[in-house]
Amino acid sequence: MPFLALITRNVLTRRVRAGLTGLAVAMAIMTVVALGVLTHSLRRTAISVLQTGSADFTVAQKGVSDVLYSSLDNSQVARIKAEPGIQSIVGVLVAAIKLDSSHPFFLELGIPPDELAPFGVQILKGRPYTATATNEVMLGWRASQDLHKNVGDVINIDGNNFTVVGIYSVGNVFGDSASMLPLTTLQTNERKPGNVTLAFVKVTPGTNIDALRKRIEQANPEVATVRTQSEFGRVDRNLSLISAANVGITIMALIIGAIGVMNTMVMSVFERTREFGVLRAVGWTRARVLALVMGEALLISFVGAMAGVVLGYLAIRGIQRVPELVGVFQPDYTSAIFARALGIAFGMAFFGALYPAIRAALLVPMEALRHE
Amino acid sequence: MSDAGAPGPIIQVTDVVKLYDDGLVRALDGVTMSAARGEFLAVTGPSGCGKSTLLQLIAALDRPTSGSIVVEGRDLREAGNDTYRRTGIGLVFQLHNLLPNLTALQNIEVAMFSNGHSHGEQRTRARELLDAVGLGAKEKVTPPRLSGGERQRLAIARALANRPPILLADEPTGSLDSAAVDRVLELFREIREREGVTLLLVTHDAHVASTADRIVYMRDGKIVAAPEADVPAAAPAP
Repeated sequence: MPFLALITRNVLTRRVRAGLTGLAVAMAIMTVVALGVLTHSLRRTAISVLQTGSADFTVAQKGVSDVLYSSLDNSQVARIKAEPGIQSIVGVLVAAIKLDSSHPFFLELGIPPDELAPFGVQILKGRPYTATATNEVMLGWRASQDLHKNVGDVINIDGNNFTVVGIYSVGNVFGDSASMLPLTTLQTNERKPGNVTLAFVKVTPGTNIDALRKRIEQANPEVATVRTQSEFGRVDRNLSLISAANVGITIMALIIGAIGVMNTMVMSVFERTREFGVLRAVGWTRARVLALVMGEALLISFVGAMAGVVLGYLAIRGIQRVPELVGVFQPDYTSAIFARALGIAFGMAFFGALYPAIRAALLVPMEALRHE
Repeated sequence: MSDAGAPGPIIQVTDVVKLYDDGLVRALDGVTMSAARGEFLAVTGPSGCGKSTLLQLIAALDRPTSGSIVVEGRDLREAGNDTYRRTGIGLVFQLHNLLPNLTALQNIEVAMFSNGHSHGEQRTRARELLDAVGLGAKEKVTPPRLSGGERQRLAIARALANRPPILLADEPTGSLDSAAVDRVLELFREIREREGVTLLLVTHDAHVASTADRIVYMRDGKIVAAPEADVPAAAPAP
């Protein structure tokens, strides 16, 4: 009889208990997977706004709770532009509005039309808006599909009617789910004259980008430059907090799952004391008894983890339907998230079964055989 | 260190004392006895006389407080009794101690983990033993669905799984009816003939003890007659 077959048989003998423990593991893994995918995808979507276009790095106000609250004025942009090594700098105003109940979070990007091409905007249909137009808008192709609006249609944004003059693509979810309109029009509508949210910087070839960023931050202590995803927390504390919460919840899930596994395995070892006595009496080593208990816990956790991954996937499908997330949340199922889920399941099994397994292995055969 | 096959006793118990409850209970009080290779030895006496304790110490399920037990030249006070229990002895308990969730075949196989044989060889040996104890047709039956006699025969088959030179049986007929007792005793005789094992059987049943080559009597933790004065069995084992 293969050892794995014995482990499986023992687990199946106590189906209800093993099932409930597996369910607890599954719920913990579901939480880990769903939160992992959610935070990773939101971070990816959020960072994409900073990586829109062909900029080498992005400048934002330092330490704001949300990157959309960043505010840079013309003088700051001008000061940065004066730094040697900068080829171009594009200031973009980003505003979030409620379009309707189905689109409670809709983004407007204010960009001068002559900066669209350098910014990496590709016009798919129609034409760009004019620099001073107050009633022209372009829609990202995702937004166009979602809102069922095409070139020539009229769309009401924040109480103002705009004619859709073009459909564009910038190659990321964030930008393609938004709208674009002249910078001055958006500044007027948002009552932010002379202000932009972000500045996208392109450097001249051969420039030391890191040295340039350092100079900009030293000269402008109120701004932060962002080049990579890991630096995003410097300009968006909310996402950093969500990521920290994700880590905290993952640890909690690990602890709760491990306690569940431990409870089950302690009960199992207690009930099967005589069985372990018999196994030791017929020559089983302590190591093999340890491996048996560990193996049972691992099997329960592994099956629970598989179920948890499926439940996590279903949970993400449900989260996708939350109106606030439509357009800004595109699930990104990375192998790292699933590897972490499996690692956590393994951790639950290991830490949960360690004490009962050691207890079973250390049983004195004669005392175990006397156990009623 | 083993000197299997060497002349002399296969089991040598010397001046063994076993105390429980911080010395308040003296289960064994200077027991000295031996068993020759291939011998069928019955240890008998009233309840609480220490005969089961003696068997447990010989089975290395517990350690003596003092004294020595040497089996096949190996002092059981040395570490590493797992291998001894797996290959040096076979154990049969009064209450069978079978694993209820495993089939008859698996109950035997589970005793053969780590014995160095392939899974196929283990299965062949388990089937051979089931046939030998008359349970060949019940290999897929779990212990709760076997009769008391069948369970005990299965327990004997499990004890023989790793071809031990010694079979230790603690009241193996204690929970059986007379027909089942006779079947088990017949089985022990067959096993001795086929496997050539030394059989040490603890029993309080005079009829069962009388089937042994030699009987050791115990009372109050002591052997009441010197080994050389043991009363020979009424009828030698066939």
